[in-house]
Amino acid sequence: MDKEKYAKLEQEISPKAPLLKNVIKAFLVGGTICLIAQFIALFYMTFFDFTERTASNPTVATMIFISMLLTGFGVYKKIGQAGGAGGAVPITGFGNAVVSAAIEHKTEGFVLGVGSNIFKLAGSVIVFGVFSAFLVALIKTILVKMGVVSW
Amino acid sequence: MTIRQVIMMLCVLLLLTGCIPNDFKFENHTDEDASKAEELLKKDNRIKGVAALFHDDHLLIGIRVKTFSRFNKRGIAREIEKKLKEEYPDLTVFVSADSKILTETNKLILKDDEKGLKKKIHHLISLAEEET
Repeated sequence: MDKEKYAKLEQEISPKAPLLKNVIKAFLVGGTICLIAQFIALFYMTFFDFTERTASNPTVATMIFISMLLTGFGVYKKIGQAGGAGGAVPITGFGNAVVSAAIEHKTEGFVLGVGSNIFKLAGSVIVFGVFSAFLVALIKTILVKMGVVSW
Repeated sequence: MTIRQVIMMLCVLLLLTGCIPNDFKFENHTDEDASKAEELLKKDNRIKGVAALFHDDHLLIGIRVKTFSRFNKRGIAREIEKKLKEEYPDLTVFVSADSKILTETNKLILKDDEKGLKKKIHHLISLAEEET
């Protein structure tokens, strides 16, 4: 059996992913997470001395903290199963990736187990996060120079 | 309560909270003429809500811009600040498009308490200038 034949066979046998359904689910779950984060940001703006601009930092920290707790209790697994990318793309997915790796490697010891594996999944998030931040900053700099948006 | 009722209630609540009135509030504790600022801000069709407070030698303004102008809200605030500085050369003008400044200015106007007002205005300006 050659490569092309195998690919064709695999296409025929494997079940079709319900693309639209997954997209809608991811939209709803991700949107709900962002809605909760918006309420937390509003909470920080109403009751503490944070502006729209500065409230994002404590909001992100709170969301990561909540997702870490949920991962520890095994609830985030269910959210991720239902929402797919909707549970992975927001910052809560990052917290989940860090803590789940830490839990998984806890038996290997704290230094060589937890310490060296904690960023096993989240490491790629950091690498591509930094890279995409660079790209976005580049695009924004160009747009600001052209006068389309302001800082 | 069934899940359908909960979803219906949430939809209604979310739709209604979208209808928070955006009005133009002006409070003047000085002898300056506030109508110039009022005219300027009401004429600008990118703005849908204003809270302006004239106090002592300060003019503190919080604005809410329309949804699709939000990408450029800092630019709009800067532009209005420049225009108002020309209109009121004797006042220290501060304009911000941050919703925190708008709500806090609204609170100061509603409270109508001149004691310690200047300190609060200074505090708000320092908050708005914070970058991180």
